[in-house]
Amino acid sequence: MIDYKSERVMYYKVLVGLLLLTAVTFGLPYIFEAGADLPAQMFIAVIKAWLILMFYMHLKGEKLISVMGIFSLMIVLVFFIIVLVVDVANFQFKDESHITAPQHTTGVTKHVTVPVKH
Amino acid sequence: MSKSYFDETHCAIGHPKSTFMQWMLTVDHKRIGLMYAAVMFTFFFIAVSTALLMRFELFAPGQQFIDGDTFNQAFTLHGVIMIFLFIVPGIPAVFGNIVMPLMIGAKDVSFPRLNWFTFWLYIFGSAIAIASLFTDAGFADTGWTFYAPYSLNTGTNVIFTLVAAFVLGMASILTGLNFLVTIHRLRAPGMTFFKMPLFVWGIYATAWIQLLATPVVGITLILAIMEKYFGIGIFDPSKGGDPVLFEHLFWIYSHPAVYLMILPAFGIMSEIIPVFSRREIFGYRTIALSSASIAGIGYLVWGHHLYTSGMADIAKTVFSLLTFFVAIPTGIKFYDWIATMYKGKIVLSTPMLWAMGTIITFAIGGLTGVTIAMIGVDIHLQDTYYTVAHFHYAMLGGVVFLFFAGMHYWFPLVTGKMYDEPKAKIAFYMQFVGFNLLWFPMFIAGFLGMPRRYFDYLPEFQIYHQFSFFGALLFVAGLVFMFWVFYKGWTKGEKVGPNPWHATTLEWHMPTSPPPLENHSKVPYVDFDPYEYHHGEPVVKFDYETMRRID
Amino acid sequence: MAHEYIPEISTDRDGTEHVVQGWQDDFYGGKLGFWLFMFTEVLMFGAMFLVLTYYKMLHPADFVAASASLNRFLGGTNTVILLVSALTMGLSLLKMRAGDVKGAKLMIWATIILALMFLSIKAVEWTAEYNHGVFLGLDALQSGNPHSKPFGEILFFGMYFTMTGIHGFHIIIGIGLMVWLLKRINAGKVSPEHHILHWNIALYWDIVHLIWVFVFPYFYMIGAASGGTGGH
Repeated sequence: MIDYKSERVMYYKVLVGLLLLTAVTFGLPYIFEAGADLPAQMFIAVIKAWLILMFYMHLKGEKLISVMGIFSLMIVLVFFIIVLVVDVANFQFKDESHITAPQHTTGVTKHVTVPVKH
Repeated sequence: MSKSYFDETHCAIGHPKSTFMQWMLTVDHKRIGLMYAAVMFTFFFIAVSTALLMRFELFAPGQQFIDGDTFNQAFTLHGVIMIFLFIVPGIPAVFGNIVMPLMIGAKDVSFPRLNWFTFWLYIFGSAIAIASLFTDAGFADTGWTFYAPYSLNTGTNVIFTLVAAFVLGMASILTGLNFLVTIHRLRAPGMTFFKMPLFVWGIYATAWIQLLATPVVGITLILAIMEKYFGIGIFDPSKGGDPVLFEHLFWIYSHPAVYLMILPAFGIMSEIIPVFSRREIFGYRTIALSSASIAGIGYLVWGHHLYTSGMADIAKTVFSLLTFFVAIPTGIKFYDWIATMYKGKIVLSTPMLWAMGTIITFAIGGLTGVTIAMIGVDIHLQDTYYTVAHFHYAMLGGVVFLFFAGMHYWFPLVTGKMYDEPKAKIAFYMQFVGFNLLWFPMFIAGFLGMPRRYFDYLPEFQIYHQFSFFGALLFVAGLVFMFWVFYKGWTKGEKVGPNPWHATTLEWHMPTSPPPLENHSKVPYVDFDPYEYHHGEPVVKFDYETMRRID
Repeated sequence: MAHEYIPEISTDRDGTEHVVQGWQDDFYGGKLGFWLFMFTEVLMFGAMFLVLTYYKMLHPADFVAASASLNRFLGGTNTVILLVSALTMGLSLLKMRAGDVKGAKLMIWATIILALMFLSIKAVEWTAEYNHGVFLGLDALQSGNPHSKPFGEILFFGMYFTMTGIHGFHIIIGIGLMVWLLKRINAGKVSPEHHILHWNIALYWDIVHLIWVFVFPYFYMIGAASGGTGGH
């Protein structure tokens, strides 16, 4: 019914791939400056996710429906992110906003407006 | 007399002897749908009563019956019940359960036990919501939107309500999931997607929204709970959190939720119009695909709730533009329905009256929605009675009116009996007139500057509030009368056969009336379109024992 | 119940017979349903990543500083543990499908042990952070006192504890599911012929792993280059 041996080999191959990618994850900080490696990290995460989806989760050779579902999901998420980036980049009330006040210099909060009750 | 689904059932656990336990444990989709209806309308009447209480308070300026804090709790209770307990699960949970499997010729939904579990999850969630009424802190006073930071600071019992909304969201997700798999897997042989009745299309589009939008609000509510318990700071400006982000996340779900409510209602409309016009529906494919595109576009318009909340101008413009686009598929549907009626043999039965009334009320609700989708106009009208009137015209005058239409339409299917038609028509006219008298003055009051959610107002608005008050009385009287007609119909109504309306879709081709436990006696082969009429008579006829075509 | 199910036959007008798909014994339907459920998981975490991205855009420096103080050694170990556990879970499904029920059960036990290891390491990590004064509800993560961290760090740790907490909760649920699966296998309800439950729980474990694949670099690695304390 199923080809046990070849499937088991597949599982181990994917494991090795994932482990290698994890190792790369730890190597990246040596290449990029602090705070700049997020896109590269996410790229590796996407490759890992793709490996898991296709092989561990058996999407390879699956009917179109699941792939379509994931695709539409991606589109929605990407749209959310785009809106977010556009909104933050063009936000025109930055000077009046309290939530982005620089905090490092004084170490004490300057803008405590709403005390929280618990 | 053969047995109907009232006489026997399958159960989730074992097979208890007592009728009561059989109802509690039933996995039959028709029984579960009926139980949803019973619970939902109980809550519906609680919410209607709180609304009426607010109308009493607003009859004159100043404080009459309840103080401001109680008023805040009253509109929150009204909103939470109407949105989370009644209208969001509403049509899918009731008619999606009862009718949808019948329409596609299935024996049950794909996961009957999950369906049972979902029902009890819904009850559990409702119980939590209601429980907070009886705690010391009292029911939440935030409005149903739980906007931060007020919801994080208020002393009332917001956590209960948040948890309840999360649990109800889970129930909603599971319902959607169940229906999606059912529609994909259990259609009768030969029934392609474009041979499905349009109500099934409505449920299908709705189910995708339930599945893909609800998790976002679920996690938002969890973050709000974390915020309230641990102060993680995500929505708290004193820790750098952004309250507007809460509004974004909240409306990412709650705006699609509006389409989640209206799409199955449009499905009911698309069922009723061809049947009572005795004519094939005009533009089947455009109606089906417009449901799908409303669901799709509906995801991308949430920002129009935030025009006054602090958002970049470019984002506002994009959201405003996208919002206009939603009106296009909706308009297509309306033209299709009216074109279906053109040259049809229109039968003015009660379901048709409700459907035609909805064409008027929803047109008003929809078009006023387009006006407040414009940024400039919305700055003036945001959080006024204009907005309140708009969404009540769309929700009550659209979704709930069509819900009632569906209740009249499928009443003979569910009970096997017929209600008193003349009385039902009187109930319709009472509610239709009462409804317009109740909400239309609010457009004017809102335009002149009456803000929403206030328990007091300036004397110049009194005339509008008094019109509304009498409209509300008439509406509620009609509502009670309608349910009385249903009750009489169920207990004393005349027995009718399986297809009293001369309808064509599969749910009317049952061997008995009401339907038996496992639906159709045999699964039919579907090689016909859902609404085939020839000279005002249904084309497709079945032998109800073998489910073979005999026309 | 599903085992003696015989599908119905529907006949069209030409007399051709068509097999009707019932809700019983619908392997593909069960799989589809679980995939749809996983979409909701993805969207839940997706929304949290959205929140995280938003605050990272507002406070990039604070995020790097906060991330640098996380313990990358323990986080990395957990990553590898989850990786291996995904393998054992996959192998258990494979063995089940190939008819080796005993081997499948063994592999599920291995997965459970790995999951418990993951949780213990998580516990060690959180305890260390608690001892450093960084935990939900402690002064450092509240505003307006001398220990308060800057906005960006408060938000980073708020999301860190929420997201890894919810992920850990999923792990606990996963252990529960696996124990239940073992019971069902012992009861003969899950067998090489009817392994949809096993299949779906394997999928669940993979989605839990999949989420960690994104959670790990987002929290632990963005500050790695700046050195930092690394949790010490």
